[in-house]
Amino acid sequence: MPQASRDIQRRIKSVKNTKKITKAMELVSAAKMRKAVSRVLSSRSYSDLVWDTVLHLVKKIDTNKHPFFIEPKKVKKVAVVLISTNRGLCGSFNATLVNKVIKSIEIHHPERVETSVITCGTKGRDEARRHNISLVADFHKEDITASSEDIRPISHMITKDFLAKKYDKVFVAYTDFMSSIKQVPHVKQLLPIVPEIDERLGHIKHGKDKVEKISVDSFAEFIFEPDTRQVLDAFLPRLVEVQIYQSVLESEASEHSARMFAMRNATDAAGDMIDDLTLAYNQARQAGITGEIAEIAAGSAALE
Amino acid sequence: MKNFKLKIVTPEKVLFEDEVLQASISTTMGQITVLPNHIPLVSQLAPGEVLVRFNGTDESLMAVSGGIVEILPDQMVILADTAERAEDIDEARAEEARKKAEEVLKTKTTDAEQFAMFTALMEKEMARLRVARKYKKRGVRTGRPTNQ
Repeated sequence: MPQASRDIQRRIKSVKNTKKITKAMELVSAAKMRKAVSRVLSSRSYSDLVWDTVLHLVKKIDTNKHPFFIEPKKVKKVAVVLISTNRGLCGSFNATLVNKVIKSIEIHHPERVETSVITCGTKGRDEARRHNISLVADFHKEDITASSEDIRPISHMITKDFLAKKYDKVFVAYTDFMSSIKQVPHVKQLLPIVPEIDERLGHIKHGKDKVEKISVDSFAEFIFEPDTRQVLDAFLPRLVEVQIYQSVLESEASEHSARMFAMRNATDAAGDMIDDLTLAYNQARQAGITGEIAEIAAGSAALE
Repeated sequence: MKNFKLKIVTPEKVLFEDEVLQASISTTMGQITVLPNHIPLVSQLAPGEVLVRFNGTDESLMAVSGGIVEILPDQMVILADTAERAEDIDEARAEEARKKAEEVLKTKTTDAEQFAMFTALMEKEMARLRVARKYKKRGVRTGRPTNQ
């Protein structure tokens, strides 16, 4: 067999192996995605209800009393919690997220505020370092976040630092899971708490269980036990934690579906490549045969 | 009598969602029983039990480990840190967890923050155990959503 067709055959073999790997990774990601999606959906109702409660509460209390609600007069220092992935091979997932973060820093704070990031996931950490954003903490990200306790260290740290006035604002950057084919990077303000209806986090209007919002305006009295301050002190850090937890879950679901689609595309591309290479191989083989026949014919013609 | 909507949710799941007649919970200020048309109230939840009555006979018992409860005249939302149904708690394992918490509390308390954390853990395990035992003893007449 001539050299050309042997080379092509070798390439076909290697592409076939790659295809097997990407196919396997696609299946693994699909399984992980299913799990992550079910977790996102089951935790959404909690974060929805927490938000509802906050929205009820802010109408009944003086929001300027609690440090979590006070808007800073001048924003100097900003912290961003960047929730990315540990592994690559998920398309442009991390790149788009980091670009979104950088863009939103530029848009909201053109007057060059001091920005630090707290990363969760190694890819985000590497990207942040590449873009020269100062990194204050890096938290290990589990492949599957088992419970809200896993992210408690993060929320604990940022609430503590926020109350100590280390940061004027805290944001969380994550990838919103819209559907298995659509994920949107999003940057959201965590602190100070903006008591507005949050349209994004966990609010991909799950049409069917949309509960009618209850208006609390009609209730003249609203009792807090033991008292307003204590309830808020217990509740608001919880709100921060829930939001981070929800963001992590959304990111996880997005990551796995992004990877699944990246791998599906890779598998398809490998299939196309194999077809092309097979065609090229057959042509080369046919050319070889034709060439040999021509040689034989020429040889016998020379003998006559 | 009119019933009200009760929801018990944790960050991980929705544990309970139904119309109920009354619900007894323990707040940090003591035990309260909520009936329909309660005055709006927001309270801190203490680790303890939640006893729900659907009507005269059916009831359901759950253990929660602290959180926040929001009560409105026609609905009640329990935002619990963790919550379990009584019938799901394995008494032996709950006892084991309580012992472990107790041990840790005795030996490894170095600072106030840690002490608070382990005390909370201990309280939570105590509550679970209490609920598990009560369930066994009384044989709570499980209501509609639990025995199916």
